[in-house]
Amino acid sequence: MKVGKWKFLLPLGLLVAGSAVATSGALATSAQSSEVKIAILSECKGAFGGAYEEQIGAVQAAFSQYAGAKPKNKKKPSAGITGGALGGKTIKIVGYGCGDETPALALKETRRLMEQLGGEIMIGPLSGDEGVAVANYAKAHPKQTFLNGTSGGQQTTLKVRAKNFFRYNGDGAQWNAGTGEIAYKRLGWRNAAIIMDDYSFGYTSGAGFIAEFCAWGGKISKRVFVPSPNTDYSSYVQQLPAPDKIDGYFWVVGGSGTGPSVKAFTQAFGPMDPKKVIGNLFFAFLGNDKELAPQLVGAYMGGFGTGPGLQTPAAKAYRKLATKWYPDFNPDDGFYYNWWNPAWALTTAMDKINGDLSGGHQKLWAAMPRVLNAGFGKIVLDKNRQAIQDQYPIRYVKKGGAITFEVIGLIPQVDQTFGGQFSEKTPSPSRAAPACKKAKLPWMNKIIPVKNGVPQR
Amino acid sequence: MTKGWTAKRIVERCVGVVVLVFVAIGPAALTDYWVSSILTQTFLLGIAAASLIFLSAYGGMISLAQTAIFGIAGFALANLVTTDATGGQNLGWNPWLGVAGAIVIATAIALVFGALASRSLGIYFLMITLALGVIGFYFFLQVDKLSGRAGIPTIRAHAPSIVGDTSAAPERLYYVALVLAFAVYVVIRYVVRTPFGIALQGIRDEPVRMASLGYNVPVHRMLAFGLAGFFASLGGVLYAWWNDLMDPAAIDLNAIVSLLVVAVIGGLGRIEGAWLGAFAFILINNYVRDIEVPVLGGSFPTVIGFIFLAIVLVSPDGLMGLWDRVWSGGRRRGDPPEVAVDVQRSAPEASPS
Repeated sequence: MKVGKWKFLLPLGLLVAGSAVATSGALATSAQSSEVKIAILSECKGAFGGAYEEQIGAVQAAFSQYAGAKPKNKKKPSAGITGGALGGKTIKIVGYGCGDETPALALKETRRLMEQLGGEIMIGPLSGDEGVAVANYAKAHPKQTFLNGTSGGQQTTLKVRAKNFFRYNGDGAQWNAGTGEIAYKRLGWRNAAIIMDDYSFGYTSGAGFIAEFCAWGGKISKRVFVPSPNTDYSSYVQQLPAPDKIDGYFWVVGGSGTGPSVKAFTQAFGPMDPKKVIGNLFFAFLGNDKELAPQLVGAYMGGFGTGPGLQTPAAKAYRKLATKWYPDFNPDDGFYYNWWNPAWALTTAMDKINGDLSGGHQKLWAAMPRVLNAGFGKIVLDKNRQAIQDQYPIRYVKKGGAITFEVIGLIPQVDQTFGGQFSEKTPSPSRAAPACKKAKLPWMNKIIPVKNGVPQR
Repeated sequence: MTKGWTAKRIVERCVGVVVLVFVAIGPAALTDYWVSSILTQTFLLGIAAASLIFLSAYGGMISLAQTAIFGIAGFALANLVTTDATGGQNLGWNPWLGVAGAIVIATAIALVFGALASRSLGIYFLMITLALGVIGFYFFLQVDKLSGRAGIPTIRAHAPSIVGDTSAAPERLYYVALVLAFAVYVVIRYVVRTPFGIALQGIRDEPVRMASLGYNVPVHRMLAFGLAGFFASLGGVLYAWWNDLMDPAAIDLNAIVSLLVVAVIGGLGRIEGAWLGAFAFILINNYVRDIEVPVLGGSFPTVIGFIFLAIVLVSPDGLMGLWDRVWSGGRRRGDPPEVAVDVQRSAPEASPS
């Protein structure tokens, strides 16, 4: 093998190639003021990877409805959109981030979208710990704007409070408003155990039940934490008290882990009694209803900020618009609704300021709507730019031979503090927090019944 | 053996100088993304990979525990210096004291790891260090007082003034990382020429003979592990500042394998390979992640997997090995299948010059 000239050409070639790549990287970020660069950070891996297309679809459906964009492929939102303008600026989707629930990857993807690809506004992420990481990133990058996807960790807005981070959905605790009262009053529980995912959303979701159940006078005798994602739940369910030693279980195991965790329970203790279990939103969404519903008819669940099957005029109007662009997705699913709203809010704000993002996005932040008359009720942003919204506990029911879930109540305007139970000074939900204590919540005894999708005000 | 100033050495020195000049003026010519996310990350990941290559090339030990030590330094720093983070102890130490504390803690734990692993060889050493690496990940995942899955954010706000605000001025951390990377390189080159380094290479090649000559083989290995842990801890501290978040996913099994991939791509036989491998790995991760491989699908893991396979088959001693082969007329030094052992034996710096 004759290699003489390569000895000298190889290093030279490598240096030239390196310089070329570096230069192309530098050129790639040159801004064009006629465009607004939007990034979407979802998850395509891990326990929630199945919701990837749905969330991108929700954002782009809102852009299609309110900003004149058009989906390239109605079956596959990640194929992108054409056209569309926000405040006169052409929408450019710079990229779709792919998270896996971990903050490390969320941060890496955020950096790629906002720094490498030059995003100006990001919508996402999906999951709790990711939200905390992105909110902290937002705080360190005050000239960009971040609109939450579905991440529902409490500290994301209650503790971090980045002025450029907006969350138009409730946190995990807000979504569970009503479950504690149902357990205590309707089901007669006095002593409950809770099994929850071992991360910020799991803690926050559990905190909603704990705060309300304990406010009524209930006790939590056992808290079990499971890593997420996971596949084998047998050792964790074994840590739960047996059904004859407890009034009921609150179940906060999410995504692809919900079904296997319930299966592990039935293998350990026999079939689940629907009166002895309440799930959070994971019981009903991400396709888990197909697996769980037949064995849990009558079981109650916390909501997702949406009113599945709600028959109010606003809900009907929203469904009509939301299904127009990507008809395969369920607009009543929180993984759709909670991504539609921030994108919709962005379109109104950008139109209001004529797309003027100069001066570090401050005009945009001021223009972001503080009240959004959304499909499932009014969304009001509090001082931390966190949604105060209506919540809808749900229940598995058998209707005409089919098993489905329906809204059984409406709790208007649930705020993140639970009437002062949570604040920036209280410890963030964790394995130990919140403590179980009797208290007074604003909506005690005020849950409005919902029958056949109509609130009985 | 004295090599003298051969043509290869001259070309290498020239390339080294050009690269150094290029990276020295880099921040003036490159975008912030390149300065921060590509090159700063290359320097700090290269430092971690250098700790692995140092043990491999001069000690005959391929350690999978370097990622854990890297992480221990980062988590220690995060716990020690933060004051208002949503996770960790928030002890609020002085930033420099925190850096010193993090490095001391990580190096001490590396010495303990070294003591545990130093009497084993080959696959057993690999398995012990893999176990230690995985323990590191689960420790920080499970012990929520020190991290938990959400990790510890806002570390950067408590960095020494020399690092400053890396969002507004990424070039400061860039230069800190560059200087440290260069220092690690120089120190390793120096150490392997000291009596300790020469004894270490003797132990790598003939441990029984070295023991019979009176050298304490386990102690030498443990000290080498401690020194490599010190290097890895520098990488961990830089990573904590750079990422502004320490969370367990940074040191999970994926990260453990990634560091090994970096070292193998760069070349397990030469220290320079650490930064070359890191640069290649980061570039691939950033720029070819959307390539769809026919039938198999796409994304970064598939692409890097194929590149890793190609490197192992074509040039088991990595990109640096490829470079060496160009200069040796295409001859491969050592037998390719025995990457771990033969590459180490073929390391050009293996014997003192």
